[in-house]
Amino acid sequence: MQPEDLERALGPALGPTLVGVEPFVGFAGRLRFRREGALDVFRAVHGLGFAHLSLVGGIDWVDHREVFYVAWSDDARQYVLLSTEVPANDAHLESATPVWPSADWHERETWELVDISFDHHPDLRHLLTPDGYAFHPLLRSFKLHEPEELEVKTRHV
Amino acid sequence: MSEMWINMGPQHPMTHGLWNLRVRIDGEVILDVDPEMGYLHRGIEKISEDRHYNEVITLMDRTCYVAGLSWEHLYILASEQALHIQPPERAQYLRVLCEEFQRIASHLMWYAAFVQDIGLMTPFLYGMRDRDLILDLFQSYTGARMTYEYMRVGGVRNDLPPGFTDQARKVLDWLGPRFDEYDRLCLGSDIFHKRCDNLGVLKANDCVRHGVTGPMLRSAGLRRDLRKDRPYAVYDQLDFEVARADTADVTGRYLVRMEEMRQSIRILRQVLDWLDHHPGPVLAHELPRWLGAPYAPVGREGYLLKRHYPKGVGFSSIEEPHGEAQAYVVNEGGEHPYRVKFRSPVFANVSAARQYLIGYRVADIPPIMGSVDVCVGEVDR
Repeated sequence: MQPEDLERALGPALGPTLVGVEPFVGFAGRLRFRREGALDVFRAVHGLGFAHLSLVGGIDWVDHREVFYVAWSDDARQYVLLSTEVPANDAHLESATPVWPSADWHERETWELVDISFDHHPDLRHLLTPDGYAFHPLLRSFKLHEPEELEVKTRHV
Repeated sequence: MSEMWINMGPQHPMTHGLWNLRVRIDGEVILDVDPEMGYLHRGIEKISEDRHYNEVITLMDRTCYVAGLSWEHLYILASEQALHIQPPERAQYLRVLCEEFQRIASHLMWYAAFVQDIGLMTPFLYGMRDRDLILDLFQSYTGARMTYEYMRVGGVRNDLPPGFTDQARKVLDWLGPRFDEYDRLCLGSDIFHKRCDNLGVLKANDCVRHGVTGPMLRSAGLRRDLRKDRPYAVYDQLDFEVARADTADVTGRYLVRMEEMRQSIRILRQVLDWLDHHPGPVLAHELPRWLGAPYAPVGREGYLLKRHYPKGVGFSSIEEPHGEAQAYVVNEGGEHPYRVKFRSPVFANVSAARQYLIGYRVADIPPIMGSVDVCVGEVDR
């Protein structure tokens, strides 16, 4: 599958939600979309056979944040990369869990480390950091080598 | 009937690492589970943003402490793509050598821990004894038994010592028949079958829905192996089969891992033959000094000579002993990666715990979680 194939298959159904499809080495393509129609994009990509979501991650670009998804198709034997941008002061996005249940923990991790919230996530709570941990370590504003104030609550009383 | 939550972990013989499995039970029946991770979170992705490309390799050994070389390979492949560097062919064969030996060592570690979980004490010693032979080999060319720091962006640190391939062949000759012995010990035992058959069943479509990969996926009958589906390094030039089972249960995962070790021996024999006949450089020539020094860390003055590479994004995925690992490295032109993101196969396999634990008994948890092969280091990172 090539980027043009992806654009032809998804373009008419998604309309303006689809920003574009670019080539990416070793992938079916890198698909950029607008966050408003995220769930439609997930459904459409899943419908093309990309049933196995491997990875959800976030990148802090300071003025905005990027969320990327990597999904695999067993028929095409290929990955596809999806990415979208959210503004830093309003970082939230529709959860992919209704389409790909495997997004569950990846989104929890992205939420706590990169501070991107996922709407309608079934169970959005801390995974790797303790409950009550107010920092988001993977933001660029979180500097290493500086003392942090930390109050850890016990998880189960 | 009264329901209650119990904690299995963080200090529990079942966990093999520092994590907590919260279980809601009614009598002996498991009603719900909630794995709790994070006890070993060291922020490896964050620390990587503050380090030079070659310095991140040190962290990779600590990411998964039973498969350090596989994680080095994963990170190196993504970095080379992000920095537009091509390693020499001999280095790629050496990396495959590392990865396949590491696969056997990791599976032996799993075997030793898993059989202990189901109450067979003797095979534990056999598994540890045979793994030690591979650690000896690693020590002979990397200098370390656990944290190797062997691979470099652009190649590997050093070539093999003289006589290595013969010694490695001796180890393989010893290991092959041992796997048959293991099979006789386990598959010939009634205890093994009573504790493993039809337990922890996870069918193929559930595996795909919940992102489960590796031996768990292949034990459900899917023929999916990144070494075949998306060949990296030199796997497309090597001849091997994808191990597979159909039962989707604990016994199936045992069979898949045993067959994988046999296939690894087959791959290693081809790699050793190739290495014998193709001497050559093991590190790319045109590297800048800050990246090309064979022994990291290079001096500060080396870093000052940094050359800005064109920006790029690197992605790699390898078939790690536990499953499908991925790395995403963003290069924004400096000498540090801008962002490094890792996908740990065990992370996804454990996140699906509800799917393969609910409905079984409390006493089934050790064999089922043992068959998942949890390595907490790479879950928490």
